Amino acid sequence: MKSLSRRTILQGLGTSIALPLLDSMAPAFAGAARTAAKTYPNRMLFLYVPNGVVMPEWRPKTTGAGFELPSILEPLKNVRDALSVFSGLTADKARPNGDGPGDHARALSAILTGCQARKTNGADINVGISADQYAAQLIGKRTRFPSLEIGIERGAQAGNCDSGYSCAYSSNLAWSSATTPVAKEIDPRALFDRLFGNANASEMDESAEKRDRYRKSILDFVREDATRLKAQLGANDQRKLDEYLSGIRQIEQRLAGRVADNREIKAGAAPDGVPPTFDEHVKLMADMLVLALQADLTRIGTFLLANEGSNRPYREIGVPDGHHDLSHHGRNAEKLAKIQQINRLHTTLLAYLAEKLQASKEGDGTLLDHAMIAYVSGISDGDRHNHNDLPCLLLGRGGGTVKTAGRHLIFPDNTPVNNLWLAMLDRMGCGTERLGDSTGRVALT
Amino acid sequence: MLSALCVMLGSALVFGASARPSKPANSKTGDFARVVQPLISKYCFECHGPKQQLGGVALHSAKDLATVLKQRAMWAAAAKNLTQGVMPPKHKPQPTVAERERLITWIETTLSSGECDLRDPGRVTLRRLNREEYNNTVRDLFAVAIRPADEFPSDDVGYGFDNIGDVLTLSPLLLEKYLTAAEKVAVAAVWSAESHTRQWRFEAENPRETQGGGFISRNVRMLVQPGEVTASYDFPQDGDYVLRVRAGGNGDGTEPPRLAWKLDEVALAVVEVTAPQDAPKLYELPRKVSAGKHKLAVEFVNGGTNPLDRSRRRNVAVDYLEVVGPFLPKPNPLPASHLRLVTATPGPNGSWNEAAVKVLTPFAKRAFRRPVTNEEIARLAAAVELAKREGESYERGIQLAIQATLVSPHFLFRVELDPPAGDPKATKPLGDYELATRLSYFLWCSTPDDELLRLADEGKLRNPITLVAQAKRLLRDPKARALTDNFAAQWLMLRNLSLVGPDPKQFPSFDDELRTAMRTEAELFFEAIVRDDRSVLEFLDSSFTFLNDRLAQHYGVPGVSGTQFRRVNLTTPQRGGVLTLASTLTVTSNPTRTSPVKRGKWILEQLFGTPPPEPPPGVEELKEEQPGELTGTIRQKLEQHRSKPECATCHQRMDPLGFGLENYDAIGAWRVLEGRFKIDASGTLPSGQSFQTPAQLKAILKSQSKQFVQGFSEKLLTFALGRGLTPTDRCSLDTIGQAAAKDSYKFSALVSEIVRSEPFRLKRSEGAK
Repeated sequence: MKSLSRRTILQGLGTSIALPLLDSMAPAFAGAARTAAKTYPNRMLFLYVPNGVVMPEWRPKTTGAGFELPSILEPLKNVRDALSVFSGLTADKARPNGDGPGDHARALSAILTGCQARKTNGADINVGISADQYAAQLIGKRTRFPSLEIGIERGAQAGNCDSGYSCAYSSNLAWSSATTPVAKEIDPRALFDRLFGNANASEMDESAEKRDRYRKSILDFVREDATRLKAQLGANDQRKLDEYLSGIRQIEQRLAGRVADNREIKAGAAPDGVPPTFDEHVKLMADMLVLALQADLTRIGTFLLANEGSNRPYREIGVPDGHHDLSHHGRNAEKLAKIQQINRLHTTLLAYLAEKLQASKEGDGTLLDHAMIAYVSGISDGDRHNHNDLPCLLLGRGGGTVKTAGRHLIFPDNTPVNNLWLAMLDRMGCGTERLGDSTGRVALT
Repeated sequence: MLSALCVMLGSALVFGASARPSKPANSKTGDFARVVQPLISKYCFECHGPKQQLGGVALHSAKDLATVLKQRAMWAAAAKNLTQGVMPPKHKPQPTVAERERLITWIETTLSSGECDLRDPGRVTLRRLNREEYNNTVRDLFAVAIRPADEFPSDDVGYGFDNIGDVLTLSPLLLEKYLTAAEKVAVAAVWSAESHTRQWRFEAENPRETQGGGFISRNVRMLVQPGEVTASYDFPQDGDYVLRVRAGGNGDGTEPPRLAWKLDEVALAVVEVTAPQDAPKLYELPRKVSAGKHKLAVEFVNGGTNPLDRSRRRNVAVDYLEVVGPFLPKPNPLPASHLRLVTATPGPNGSWNEAAVKVLTPFAKRAFRRPVTNEEIARLAAAVELAKREGESYERGIQLAIQATLVSPHFLFRVELDPPAGDPKATKPLGDYELATRLSYFLWCSTPDDELLRLADEGKLRNPITLVAQAKRLLRDPKARALTDNFAAQWLMLRNLSLVGPDPKQFPSFDDELRTAMRTEAELFFEAIVRDDRSVLEFLDSSFTFLNDRLAQHYGVPGVSGTQFRRVNLTTPQRGGVLTLASTLTVTSNPTRTSPVKRGKWILEQLFGTPPPEPPPGVEELKEEQPGELTGTIRQKLEQHRSKPECATCHQRMDPLGFGLENYDAIGAWRVLEGRFKIDASGTLPSGQSFQTPAQLKAILKSQSKQFVQGFSEKLLTFALGRGLTPTDRCSLDTIGQAAAKDSYKFSALVSEIVRSEPFRLKRSEGAK
C-alpha cells in the first residue's frame, strides 16, 4: 500500500498557516534514514526594489553589531538578529561603460548577472546568467520547481522602455542564459495554481497521475517535433527552439520528481485575482512564497517588487506621485520624504516575509535560520543614478553559515555585488570561481 | 537605427537642429577620401585606427565606398554614436558641429542609398504567437469562447510592439501554461465522457480524510469488530458515480468479511471481501448521486469470530474509499465545436486510427497553417490510441491529439523555412501558406481562414494582385478589430492607460469610467479611419470624434447625453486627431502634472518616427520647486533647463511641441491657467516656424504629411513584419509612401503597399547578406 501520510491540507492561506510538515518530511529532504541527524536545506531568495533609496535613511551610522536601525530599516526590528547590512557594494555593469543612458534597464539586468546588457531594443538581447538561475540549474532538480520567479508588475505593455534598452531588461530579474529572461508570475491565482495545482482541492492521485502520464506522452511527441524542426532552421531561429526544448526538459524533470516524491501538498482556498493594493498583492505573493519554501517545493526564488524605473504611485500610503518621477528628487525635502515612505513600505513588506519565515519552525530553528534573503536595488540614489554603495542587506543565517547576522559591514567602494552572490552560492552548495564581474567572495564571517 | 536616419534626412527641416543636404555630392567615393577620411583619422583613429581597435572597431579598414557598404553595421553604429554625442568621448577632441553633421550625413546617406538595388528583404526571426494571437487563434480554430492566454506571462515589447520575433522568448513557465491551456481548450472544444470525470480518494488511515473505528495500522484502517470508515464529499453535480473501496481481509473459515456501503446512513449494498489482507482489491458500486454534500461509509457488518474456533476471527483492512465521476450522458446535441471537429467516430468494432486520421487531417492543417504530412498525422493519431490503452474513450483520445497539436512548435511558432541548404539565391519568395499566415496575423492577429488556405492550396497568394485583394477583404472583416486592439493600442499607448494613476486631489474627476471612456474614444476613432478607409492624415487632425456624455463633459462639448458613444462633428479646433485625445494627453503626463517633454517626445517618436536621442549620461532631469529657484509654470522651469547647452539641442526639438499642448491638463481637460499662471501655449520649432495655439501647432504638423506618413508606415511595417526595421528597409518605406500618396493616403492603400512590399513577401536566408 502506498505511503500517502504526508498529504497535508494547508488551510487559511493568507492568514495563519500551521504546517507541521517539514519535521515529518525531513528524511525526504536529507535523503537519509530517520536515524541520521536532520539537516535542512538552505534557501536563497533575491528581492529587488527599483529607483534606489534615500541612502541617509538607509545606511546605519555605525558599523559592527548594535547599530541603530535607520528609519528605512526600522520595520525590520523584529528580525534584526538575522539582519546583515552591507555597504559599499557596487554593480559596475549597471554603469554606462560607454553605452550612454539607460541606467534603470542596466541596473536590473546587471544586478544578479554582473554582466553588461547589450544595448538593443529587440534583436539580440544579451546579458548573462543570473545567480539564482545558476544555482537552479545545478541543484534545482532536487525540488519540484528549480526556482520561482515572482513579481508585481507586468512587463511594459506599450511604447519604449529605457533609452533604447529592450523592456526585457527592465522587467526581468532572472536570466536562465545570456539571451533568455525567465518570465515572472504576477497573478496570485496563477501562482497558486502552479504551486498547488489548479484542480479541485481534493482531487486525488489517480486523476492527477493519469494527467501526468498524458502530459509526458505529449511532451515526448512535441519534443520530437521540435528536434526535427530545429534541424531545418537557421541559427537565430534555432535559439527559439532551444528555449522550447529546455522548457520541455524542465517540465519533464518536474513530472518525474512529482511521481517519485513530494506531490502531496495541497493548499486551502485559492486567492481570487489580483488584490487592489500594492501591499496586499505583495503579501499574498509572499504568503505563497513562504508556503513553497515550507513545503520544499523550491529553494531558490526571485521577487521583483516593481519593475525597474517603475512610475507607480503609492496612493495607499499617501504618495500620489509616480515613484520614478519622485526619485529624481533634486534634494527636495518633500520629495525625499515621500520616497522614504515608499522605501519604508517596501522594507515593511520585507519584514512581513521575514517574520513569517521566522515564525515557521523547522527542526530546532526556524525557516529564516535556514534561508538567505538578499534585498537590493541596482541604483543607490535615484537622483544621481549611481550604482556604487548600493542599498543591500541579507536576512537569515543560511543554516548557520552566515555569521554576519546582526551587523553592519562596510566593504571597500566598488566591491562587486556579485562577490556577495558568490558567497551565497557557496552556501547553497553551488560554489563557482566566477559569476559575471565577481572578483572573489565577500566574507560572511 | 532607421529612426535616427529619418531624423537626419526626412524631417530635419522641421524638427531637426538644422537643415542638412538630402543628397551627398556626386561622387561618393571621392567624398569618402575627401570628406570622411580626414575627419575620422583626426577624431577616431586614436582608438579605432591602425594603432588600436577598441571594442573591435577598426574604422581605418574602410578604404572606399564599397568597403563601407560591406561594413554596414559598424558604420551605422558610428553614425548613431556620433548623432547621440556618445563618440568621440567627452574628454577627447571634439569635431565641430558642422564636421559632425557632415560625417553623419555622409554615412547615413551612403548606407541608405544603393540599398534599393541590393534587394534585401530582411529576415524575421521565428515568431511565437503572443497572448492576443494565441487567444484569437483558439477562438477561430475551435469556435470556443475562452481566452486561455490571459493567464500567460506578459510578452516583452521591442520596437514598440509585443509581436517581435526576437523579443518573444519562451520560458519554462510559459511552456507549462501552454500545456494547461491546451487541456482547457481541448475540453472546451470536444466533449468526452471523461472530461468532467474526477477521482477523489479518501485514505482510511488519514484522520483528515476519513473517520472510523478500529485502529490505524501502517497505511490501512483495521476493523476487527463491527465498525465503519466514513468520509464526507461534496458531489459537484447530479449524475452517475462509482463508489469504490480498496480492502482485503480474513474470513473465519465460515464466511468472508462483509462491508456494507452506506450513503447518508442508508445501506445500499453489501460487498463480500474475498481478497486476502495482504492482497487487497478494489470493490465498486455504481450509483446515482445527487449534487451536494453526502456522507459516504463502509460498515463492517459481520465482525466477530468463528463460533466453533474462537482463534479464527473475521477482520477487514480498508485502504481507501474513492468516488469516481460523474459519468455524464452524452449531451444532445453535442456542442457545435465538437460537431465541427469530430467529423468521424469509429463504429463499435471500427478502427480508431482510421476515424482519427479523418478528423485530424483537416484539423492539423488549420492548426499548423499548412498541409501536413501523412507521417505527422500518424503521429497525432497515435495520441488517440494512447487513450485507448488507458481504457478511455475515443473522444478523450481526440482531446489528447488536440493537446499535442496545441503544444507543438508548429502551432506555437509561425514557421517560415529557409531555402534549402546550398541554395545559391540569397533571398526567396515566401510560400503561399507563409503569406497566408503573415497576412492574417498582420490584419487579424489570428490564424488564416478557409478562404486564405484555399487560395494557398491553389497557389494564388503569391500573385500580388490576389494578395492585395485579400488584404482588403481582411480589413473589411470584423476580425480586423484586432488592428485596434493590438496595433493602435500600442501605437497610441492605450495599454498604458490602465496603468496611469492621476493624483485624485488634483484631478478628482478622474475615475475608471473616464479612463474607459478615453480608451473607447481612441479605439472608435482609429476604427473609423480603418473601416471607412479614410486618409491616415486624419490621425493628425480630423473634424470628428466619438463621445459619450462623460467624455463630452470632460471636453466641454455640449449636447451629448447618454452613456453610449456616438460620432460627433467637432465645431471648435480644440479637439480632433490623436494629438488631442484625452488618452494621449493622459498617458504622456505624470500623475501630478503635465510633461511637455514626454508629449514632445511622443510626437517625435510615435507620430513622426524621429525620436530625439536619449539624454547624455549624467544629465539631471527636471527639478521642481528647488529652494531659491524661481517658481512658475512647468514651461518656465523647462526653459531654465533648456538654457544649459548640453540639453538645448534635443529639448529645442521636444519642448516646443509639448508647450503647444499645455492648454490640456494631465488628464487632457482644456485649461487656461496652471495654478495662478496663465498658460502660454506658444512655441518656436527649430525650423523657425512658430505658433500661438494648439490649433496652429497642428496646422504646422499637418504640413509635414510626408514625414508623418513615413513615420506611420514605419510603425505599421514593424508591426506587420514582427521585426525592427533596418536602414535597408528605407527604400521600401519610400515606395510605400509614394504609392499610398497616389491613393490619397487611404488606410487600405498603406496596407496594400506594405503587403506588396518586398520585406513582406520575401525572405533573406540566414547568413546571406
